Amino acid sequence: MPYPGIRCALLTAAMATGLAAAPARAEDGVIRIGISLRMIVENGLKYGQMAKDELEAVNAEGGINGKKIEVILLDDECKPDKGIANVNRFIHQNKVHLVMGSVCSSVSMPQVDITTKEEVPQIVSSSTNADITKKGSAWVFRTSVSERFYASVHAKYLSENVGKKVAYLYTTDTAGIGFAKDYMAFMRRTYKVEPLYEAQMQESDLDFRAHLLKIKSLNPEVLAIGGQLDAIARIVQQSYEVGIPKKVRRVSASAASNAPVPELAGDAVVGLAFAAAFSCKDERPVAQAFVKMVQEKYKVRCPDHDFSQTYETAQLIKLALKNAKLELTDASLKADRAAIRDALANIRDYHGLAAGPINFCADPTPQCRDGNRTGILVEYTKGGKDYDMRVLARVGFDPDFGL
Amino acid sequence: MDYVIDLVIIGLSVGMVYALVALGISLIFSGLDIVHFAHGEIYMLGAFIGLMIFQKLALPYVPALLLAIVVTGLIGVLIERLFYRRLTRAGGGYTVAGMGMIISGFGMSIVLQNIAFLIWGAKPLPFPVPFGMPVEVGNLTLPMSYVWIVSAGLLIMVGLHLLLRRTMLGLAMRAVAHNKDIAYLSGINVPAMISLTFGVGCALGAAAGVLIGPINYVQVQMGLGVLIKAFAAAVVGGFGSLPGAVLGGLLVGVVESLGAGFISGTYKDVYAFILLVLVLMVKPSGILGVEARMKA
Repeated sequence: MPYPGIRCALLTAAMATGLAAAPARAEDGVIRIGISLRMIVENGLKYGQMAKDELEAVNAEGGINGKKIEVILLDDECKPDKGIANVNRFIHQNKVHLVMGSVCSSVSMPQVDITTKEEVPQIVSSSTNADITKKGSAWVFRTSVSERFYASVHAKYLSENVGKKVAYLYTTDTAGIGFAKDYMAFMRRTYKVEPLYEAQMQESDLDFRAHLLKIKSLNPEVLAIGGQLDAIARIVQQSYEVGIPKKVRRVSASAASNAPVPELAGDAVVGLAFAAAFSCKDERPVAQAFVKMVQEKYKVRCPDHDFSQTYETAQLIKLALKNAKLELTDASLKADRAAIRDALANIRDYHGLAAGPINFCADPTPQCRDGNRTGILVEYTKGGKDYDMRVLARVGFDPDFGL
Repeated sequence: MDYVIDLVIIGLSVGMVYALVALGISLIFSGLDIVHFAHGEIYMLGAFIGLMIFQKLALPYVPALLLAIVVTGLIGVLIERLFYRRLTRAGGGYTVAGMGMIISGFGMSIVLQNIAFLIWGAKPLPFPVPFGMPVEVGNLTLPMSYVWIVSAGLLIMVGLHLLLRRTMLGLAMRAVAHNKDIAYLSGINVPAMISLTFGVGCALGAAAGVLIGPINYVQVQMGLGVLIKAFAAAVVGGFGSLPGAVLGGLLVGVVESLGAGFISGTYKDVYAFILLVLVLMVKPSGILGVEARMKA
C-alpha cells in the first residue's frame, strides 16, 4: 500500500461521517424536550438558558416521577428556515417528546405545521400571531397572549382615552402584520373606524421617514407601530425626528417590551405604550420573586415578558409531565407524545406570572389553546439603559374574544 | 409643497450617505481598478469604531467622527497592504482585474463581518448623539441630524476635492489613477499612492457610517443594503467618476424618498434600481461617466 497514512485518515473520516449522519439513538427513560428560541440577542441567550435550567433542575431532585429531563436548546435567530431545521432535528434526530418555542411568530407558524404533521406536542412560549392557534392543530398550545387580545387591550384603552384617528406603520414580519391587522379589525368592528393611514414596510428597512412625514401631515391621534424590536425603536425615534408631536400617542406591538427597544430608542421611547403579558414592575410577590431570581441568576435588571413566558412555559411543561403517564421507550414514543399533549390540555386555572389564570382544554381551537387571556398595557416612563415603565391597565378577555 | 420639500430633505440626507460610500467605491476603482465589494463592511466598521470612540473615550461627536475616519482609513491602508497588494502583485503589476479580486473582496466582506460580530455581537447598538431640537423653517421641521449629515458630508467632499486638486499628494494620486506606469516613471511612489487611495476610500465609507449611525443604529449587517444602493449610485453617476458618485448618491436618495412618499414605501428599494435602468438605457456610461476605454 503506497500511502497507508492517507488511507487510514480517509477510513477514519468516512467512519466519522457515517457516525455523524446516523440518527442519534434516543436514550430510554428520559424525557426529551426540544427548545427553539430566538437567542441571537443577548437576553435570548439568557432566557434560553433559563428555560433549560428550569427544566433540568428537576433532575437534581430525582426527576419528574423518577424520569430525568434532557433539554436540547437551539437558536433559531428568528429565521423561519432555522426554526424549521431545529424542529426537524428535534423530531427526527433527537426524537423529542415535546417541542417548546419559538419567540418570533414567523418561526412558530411553520414549526406548528411540522409538529402537527408529525404529531408532536408543541407549546409556543412567546409568539403572539393569532393564526398560530387558528390552524386547528390538536398538538399546539400557547402560553403567550395572542395578538387578538393584545390588539384589543390597545384599541380599547386608546380609543377611550386618546382617540380613534390611528395611523398604522408596520413591517412585513408576522408579528408586525398581526398586530396592525388585528388592531384595524377591532377598530372597524367596534367603532366602525377606518385607518387614517396604513403602510407596510420591509423587515430590513431602516428608514421610515417618508411614511412618517405623510403621517405627520394627517394629524393622527395614535401612531400604531408593528414590527420586531429594532424596527419599533427606529420608527419611534424617527417619528420625533420628522416632527410628529409628543401628544400623538405611540403604541406598538408586544415586541416593544424587549429591553433593546428602550435601550436603542433612548428618551424617544417615553410614552410608548405596548401590551404585554408581564412587567417587572408587577408588585405581586410571585412576580417580584421571579424578578429577583432573574436579576441574581441571569443578571438582567428588568426581565421582560419573553423571560416570564419562557419561565411560565417551563413550569407548565413540568406540571404536564408530572400528570402524564409516560413509558419513555422507543416503542412508546408516539403514545408518550399523546400523553403529554393530553396532560397539557388538562391544565386549568394555573396561576403564575401571567396577569390572569392560564387554562387549556382539549379542543384544537384558539378558545382552548390560547391559554393566557390577560394582557396588561404598559408605558415607558424612561428610556436608555436605565429604562423604566409603569402599568397603565390590566385587561382580561373571554376565550371567544376576537374570533 | 411642504411635504415634497420634506421628502427631498430626507432624500438628500440619505443620499449624502450613499454618495459618501459611492465616492469611496469610485475612488478605489479609479485608483486600483478594482470594484471593492467589502466596502459595505468598511462602512459598518467605521460606524462601530466611531461609536466606540464616542462611548469609550467619551469624545464629542465631531472628534469621534474625525478619529473614526482616520482610524478606518489606516485600517484600509493595512487591508490593502496585507491582502489586496499580494493579489495585485500576483497579477504581474499594480493592477489585476478579474475574478481573484472580486472573490477576495467578497471574502474580505465576510471576514470583516465576522470580526465585527465577535467583537460587538449581532444586536443593533444605539448611537445616542444629542443633536438638539429640530429647526423650524416656515412650515418645515428640519431635524438637526439631517443638517449634520448634509453639512458634514459636504465638508468632507470639499476636503476631498481640495486634497485631490490643490495638493501634490492629490496630484500624485490622480496621476496613479490615470496611468500607473507613467506615474512610476515620473518618480511617484505608486504602491504608497495606491495604499493612500484605498485608505481615503475607506475613510469616506467610515464617515458615512458614523453619520448615519445615530439615525439607523449600528449593527453588523448594516453594510449590505447601503453597498447595493451605493453601487447603484456610482453607476448612475458614472462608475469611477467622483462628481458622478456624489450626483448619483443624491439622486438615488431623493428618488427613493419621493417614490416612498408618493407611490409606496413597500417597494422603496426598487426605485433606485428603476433609476439605474433608466440611466443606463439613456447613457450607459452613467450621467457624468465617460465612454469606456482601456486604461493603461
